[in-house]
Amino acid sequence: MTSLTAVVAKDLRLAWRNRAAWLSAMAFSTIAVLTYSFAFDLATGDVRPLLPGVLWTTFLFAGVFAAGQSFQEEVDDGTFDALLFSPVGATTIFLGKLTANLIALLIIECSQLVLATILFDVGLLTPELLGIVVIGTVGYVSLTTLLATMGGHVRGRSVLLPVLSLPLLVPLLIGAVRATGASLGLEAGTAPWMLLLLVFAIWSTLAAVLLFPIAAEQ
Amino acid sequence: MTASPPDVPIALEATALTRKYGGVTVVRDVDLALPAGSKTALLGSNGAGKTTLLKMLSRLLTPTSGSFRIDGHPGPSPEAARAVGVLGHSPMLYEDFTPLENLRFFARIYDVADADARIEEILRQVGLWLRRHEPTAIFSRGYHQRLALARALIHDPAVLLADEPETGLDPEGVALLDEIALARPALTVLAATHRIDHIGAWASGIVRLERGRLVEDTSSVGLATEGTPA
Repeated sequence: MTSLTAVVAKDLRLAWRNRAAWLSAMAFSTIAVLTYSFAFDLATGDVRPLLPGVLWTTFLFAGVFAAGQSFQEEVDDGTFDALLFSPVGATTIFLGKLTANLIALLIIECSQLVLATILFDVGLLTPELLGIVVIGTVGYVSLTTLLATMGGHVRGRSVLLPVLSLPLLVPLLIGAVRATGASLGLEAGTAPWMLLLLVFAIWSTLAAVLLFPIAAEQ
Repeated sequence: MTASPPDVPIALEATALTRKYGGVTVVRDVDLALPAGSKTALLGSNGAGKTTLLKMLSRLLTPTSGSFRIDGHPGPSPEAARAVGVLGHSPMLYEDFTPLENLRFFARIYDVADADARIEEILRQVGLWLRRHEPTAIFSRGYHQRLALARALIHDPAVLLADEPETGLDPEGVALLDEIALARPALTVLAATHRIDHIGAWASGIVRLERGRLVEDTSSVGLATEGTPA
């Protein structure tokens, strides 16, 4: 547990010190939400059917863009090797990085939910929707963190991550968009889509925990 | 392979260590038994398998076959990891952290007791105590290597694995490396090097690899003639 908190604290401190990638993700998502708000006619139309797509494309691209950066710096500086030969197990390294990425990304996502609530005049800060965002984010951050590890030593890795991750994330996107729509009252009941999201999040986290030691070896 | 003196414990032992990449065998059936406190130079031309051997012993690569023990612990165990310090080509430091922050993090993951005192001691030894609050990114290559040495020794390991540790160091830095690492009596050292002229200053024996095979091993000879280290 001490090792896990040490790795999380280190990753969060590094993310803060070298915050260009996360600030870029924040700027990108803010511009995306702002642009969508200009595009929709808020006075006459119901924007709720569009909001799930707006939110999840914004979250997903911000996450894919930023999640790989923290891992890449570790590989380039050789510190990832220093973690691998330390007594900290590969699973702890993965869980630490996953937690740090998750915290950073949830901060961005919550800020965008606040912004979208103001711009679209729709109540988005409900416990149900926050739960959907957290579960969905766990699902895609664990997968993108694993894929970033696998591509860490490969040329063209910045292109590889979105190309590999986006097809794998299709089930999560479907579940997240439909669950968000249901929580906004667009269809009856969030339960089936929440279940899909939950199963995906558990599957991707377990698969990533099991595969990370193999992916981490040079 | 040379037999070690019977009364000296073995700090690093490898048995038939082999690593293949695809169909190519890079390290083949290497047996090692380095007595505690011995200082061994790992020699061989480029591509002989030195770095691959060191990576296996530091757990960065899984051996295709064979096994090893560090300070009596099986290679893959956390106890073995705690007994090893690694000094590589790259300093393996967080550039956005200060020396103090770097060492605090590594002290924490190695469970170093009385970490603050140990950090001060090692930073004074490598001559970086007065620069402990400066970002590591602004340091010269030599200072990076000094801090890397502090990182490798922060947990007071029984075995130091080093891959060309003199790289980037000025003469003063090389002297420091000799003083606080290579010549430390209780520390077992296995260091790959191309500086054959400098081996006499610290090594008690050599291990030579050729095309992945162990062709010469005098790692125990120095201790046999010089006696057990203090």
